Amino acid sequence: MSKHLIPAALLWVVLTAIGEATFLLDWLPVVGSPEAEEWDLIFNVLLAMGIPVFTFVVAALVYAFTNFKTSNDGVETGATFKGTGMFPKVWLVATSALVAVAMVIGLVSLSNLQADKSGYGWGEDQAPLVIETTAQRFSWTFSYKDKNVELLSAKDSELLLPIDTEVKFELNSIDVIHSLWIPAFRMKIDAIPGRTTFLTVEPHKLGSFETDENFRVQCAELCGLNHTIMSMHIRVVEQAEFDAWLASKQAKVSR
Amino acid sequence: MYAATTIGGGLGTGLLSFYLGIGVAALLRTMFGYDAWDRDFNATIGYIFGLVGWLMGVGMWGTWGREWFGLKIKDPHANSRKELGWQRYFMFNVDHKVIGIQYLATFLVVFMTAGLMAMIIRLELMGSGQDFISNKTYNTVLGMHGIMMVAVAVAAVVGGLGNYAVPLMIGADDMAFPRMNALSYWLVPPVAVTLLLSPFLGGLETGWTAYPPLSVLTDSAQTFWNVAIITFGLSSILGGLNFVVTVMFMRAPGMTWGRLPMFVWSMFVTAWLALLYTQGFAVALIMVTLDRIAGMGFFDAERGGDPLLYQHVFWFYSHPAVYIMILPGFGIALEVIGHFSRKPLFAYRYAVGAFLGILGLSGVVWAHHMFTAGIPNYLHGPFLVATELISIPTGLIFLSALGTIWMGKLWLRTPMLFALAVIFNFACGGVTGIFLADVPTDIHLQDTYFVVAHFHYTIVGGEIFGLFAGIYYWFPKMTGKMYNEKLAKLHFWWMFIGFNLTFFIMHWPGIEGMNRRIADYPESLQTANLIVSLSAFLLGSSFIVFIYNFINSWVRGPAAEANPWGARTLEWQTSSPPPVENFLTPPVIAGHPYDYGVPGAAPHVTFFPPAVGSPAGGGGGGQ
Amino acid sequence: MAVIAAHGHGVESHGASHMSPEKRLRVNRVGLWLFFFSESIIFGLLFTSRFFLLGTHQEHVDQFLGLVITIVLLASSVTAYTAETAMEKGNRKLAQWALLGTILLGVVFAVGVGFEWSVAEFGLKLSEEHHQEPQNVVFGTVFFTMTGLHAAHVVSGVGMLVLAFIMLSRGHFSKESHWGISSTIMYWHFVDVVWVFYYPALYLVAG
Ligand code: HEA
Ligand code: HEA
Ligand code: CUA
Ligand SMILES: [Cu+2]
Repeated sequence: MSKHLIPAALLWVVLTAIGEATFLLDWLPVVGSPEAEEWDLIFNVLLAMGIPVFTFVVAALVYAFTNFKTSNDGVETGATFKGTGMFPKVWLVATSALVAVAMVIGLVSLSNLQADKSGYGWGEDQAPLVIETTAQRFSWTFSYKDKNVELLSAKDSELLLPIDTEVKFELNSIDVIHSLWIPAFRMKIDAIPGRTTFLTVEPHKLGSFETDENFRVQCAELCGLNHTIMSMHIRVVEQAEFDAWLASKQAKVSR
Repeated sequence: MYAATTIGGGLGTGLLSFYLGIGVAALLRTMFGYDAWDRDFNATIGYIFGLVGWLMGVGMWGTWGREWFGLKIKDPHANSRKELGWQRYFMFNVDHKVIGIQYLATFLVVFMTAGLMAMIIRLELMGSGQDFISNKTYNTVLGMHGIMMVAVAVAAVVGGLGNYAVPLMIGADDMAFPRMNALSYWLVPPVAVTLLLSPFLGGLETGWTAYPPLSVLTDSAQTFWNVAIITFGLSSILGGLNFVVTVMFMRAPGMTWGRLPMFVWSMFVTAWLALLYTQGFAVALIMVTLDRIAGMGFFDAERGGDPLLYQHVFWFYSHPAVYIMILPGFGIALEVIGHFSRKPLFAYRYAVGAFLGILGLSGVVWAHHMFTAGIPNYLHGPFLVATELISIPTGLIFLSALGTIWMGKLWLRTPMLFALAVIFNFACGGVTGIFLADVPTDIHLQDTYFVVAHFHYTIVGGEIFGLFAGIYYWFPKMTGKMYNEKLAKLHFWWMFIGFNLTFFIMHWPGIEGMNRRIADYPESLQTANLIVSLSAFLLGSSFIVFIYNFINSWVRGPAAEANPWGARTLEWQTSSPPPVENFLTPPVIAGHPYDYGVPGAAPHVTFFPPAVGSPAGGGGGGQ
Repeated sequence: MAVIAAHGHGVESHGASHMSPEKRLRVNRVGLWLFFFSESIIFGLLFTSRFFLLGTHQEHVDQFLGLVITIVLLASSVTAYTAETAMEKGNRKLAQWALLGTILLGVVFAVGVGFEWSVAEFGLKLSEEHHQEPQNVVFGTVFFTMTGLHAAHVVSGVGMLVLAFIMLSRGHFSKESHWGISSTIMYWHFVDVVWVFYYPALYLVAG
């Protein structure tokens, strides 16, 4: 038995090391907000856990594949243990423990997401900047609440957001289900006719679609013919620039 | 000749009834003071009439329907007779072996068609920009690929291999309700035809999930699609019912629950899932249909309805459906691994427990598809927990598979290669499922190519690889011919490499911000998509080898022995292909199906009295 | 649906070549129960949807009519039961009369539902004249769908009863072998039981 266990375990370690080496590559998309940071953290923890699970299976398969094969037309038989001993119980406990860890990580992070000021889904709290968002086939309307400024994805080229300010999107839909997704912030929520949903982010990095294509609002729920093009670029700017931009917009409106 | 008349008769009565139904609908509408013509309403009624007409015409009336009126019926077995040759396969036939092959052939064709649609998708996505097909065509192609593949995944193994192998493996001479079995099959062709016609009836807009309000508002072939899928659901439910009763009551003497082969266990549990949950899809689509044709307001927020109702009802079915798709794959994998490792199946009881555990948990996890749909906050946590709990029973399948190959004598024939690939692929698909089940990570990943990669890893990697394992495994039994091993291995490696390249790389654009169901994407995702598309073509072309091998071996292959794998289970203890009544003498089960090499183990099967000409009972390697 | 439940009218023969009539009957019975089980999920999903959409909200419905048709349907279960026991005792005459009574009561129920539909004070459309609140429309949606699906089962049940009646009059079925009648009557009881849940959900729940 152990004649096989040690080399197989070695194989597992090597494969795991190769897998975990992906962390040396900085390949996750641009981090535009603390929400995205949190996401990257959870994702990486799950990845760090998931890789050994996967490589365990792969190591066992590859080892058996190379060491236990025969070509004598199935005449020879192998060992005769049936797995009625301790091993299945150990396996059950080990996998349950792993799953429990994954659950705890998820639940803790979920409660952060739901409990703090931002709120997700049905959140109530007010943020300094509220953007009333209306989805419609196939365009977005963003209306800065109490600011008298409205942006249309069909007409305006960019949605401006101030840096380090909590922005709350209040979503509605006129016709079918859409979904507001901003990849740079790793956040998304559906816009559903007949109810208002919420999503709060706090951009903490300057950027725009030109610097990174993940600075965009993207409709992420199939809404029909032109679902593909239902998106709008985002630009995160300094507060001063934002105020100036807002003022110029307001001036245009009042004129 | 026979075949032409039955199919022709079915088409004839079907079409006539279709027009009759349209007329009746128009009449009813005028009677109640509406416009005589409403495309969707009239077509729906026409479809229902046409469906009944088709079934009756194709043979249900003669072998079954007349009985309800106390009239004499035709012997339902007349069509099973050998001398009818290939024509048996084109008739209302009650022999489970014929029905199995009918299912398998039908769904292989559907699979190839839907696969070619995937090729169109990948062609369009090869480059950023709108370069090949319009958005409308894209949505149609996507919807058809999705739903047809889901149909393949739900029915190809259960209807095809399950029908063929389960009665044989438990020592029955047929299913419990043979005529209902034939009905389940003959419900399928109208579904396939309706789905294939949908591009000409207005296209599809909603993907396979058909979320309202879009599916209510859309001006496309949605209503036809709905009734087709409801029909398909009916077929699944009846099939499920049949399997449950068959496994419960038709087992040969001595075939205790503890001696049931893994594949039969997986079919039994799958059948329960189909029987318990398929109604969800039907109810959801009935509501959509009523909203569309009868002015109801289930999903119309303006009139007080709620679009989320659909998602709850739909996923109430469609999550269990993913286990309908994977359990047969697991069943085949464990079955094949058991026989080709020449070693007792490891932790048999745990593996059975795993199937039952998945059955128990699958009904309480559906809302993990709705984490970003604005469901109340208090639902997130429980559904996260329930979803991840399923990993524990699923893990036991891996325990059994890995424990069985450990210290075995692996006989690496093609079915075994595919079975091992199921374990390999699903490990990846399962682990990515955990990322989706964790709400915080799902919020970004939902509706991206990460999800697409996840479910192709589970469905294609698990179920479709399992399907091919099963096809190669039972090919000699079904056709009486042996396939070409070299070509089969070529197919395996080609498909395995193509598959893993395509879908492993696909996780990456998902994380990098590419959502699904789009015909166009930002330029930064160009390279990834190009690689994925090229790999997908590699994957797709591997099936050319399969098709060639399949047809060529069936027509010209060398005759197969009764038990080419030296397997202990029952289906191999009768001739290839088996006689109409399956076993010439009734089998009696004496031992466990997987006791290879166990000293003093009883053979799985004995025959009393021993059948003349059948191979030495329950042999298998090493005995 | 009628098609499926009626599979019991005859005896499946192929699989039965090694199956005793008793076993065949048991298999048929389990099959039928599983079919009911599966159907009850359809009914159950609609039942749940009613509460999902409306909570305990209720519109004005004709309570008297509701009560009457409920009593009619329950009475039909009694006659159906009589038919079954009569068959078991071999009393074909009584069975015929009881079947006829069941059919009539079933028809009365179906007509009652149709009448209810025509007098309902809620509809499917928002219209100015009727001052319909949105909830009104959803109630209509739910009410028509639930009663409609149930009525469709009643009508197909009546169809099967008629078939059974005709065959009985023509001299089919006997004391020992009358699965065709038993299955139809089981189906009828099932449809009644569904109404036992639907009636309070639509008529009695108050919010
Ligand atoms: C065969 C089909 C199949 C199977 C078996 C699964 C299995 C699982 N799926 Fe998947 N899934 C789909 C098909 C399938 N899925 C499809 C088609 C969709 C998309 C539908 C659509 O929107 O179109 C989808 C979408 C989907 C979503 C929604 C994504 C979204 O849209 O936001 C989620 C979220 O929770 C999810 C989770 C899971 C989980 C946790 C499992 C688990 O069952 C996996 C469990 C298995 C393992 C974990 C591996 C083996 C276990 C071990 C080796 C033990 C140790 C393991 C650990 C410690 C982790 N799936
Ligand atoms: C059983 C299930 C199943 C299977 C087997 C497949 C197989 C494949 N799928 Fe599919 N897929 C789904 C189920 C499945 N899919 C579902 C449910 C969706 C979601 C739909 C929705 O969003 O509504 C989806 C969506 C989906 C998308 C996402 C589209 C989008 O969101 O915009 C993509 C994109 O790459 C894709 C690709 C593929 C590819 C390349 C294959 C390949 O494996 C196919 C390989 C097969 C063949 C190519 C056919 C056989 C070959 C021949 C006949 C030989 C000749 C061919 C050549 C020479 C090329 N699929
Ligand atoms: Cu809006 Cu997709
Ligand atoms: Cu799911």
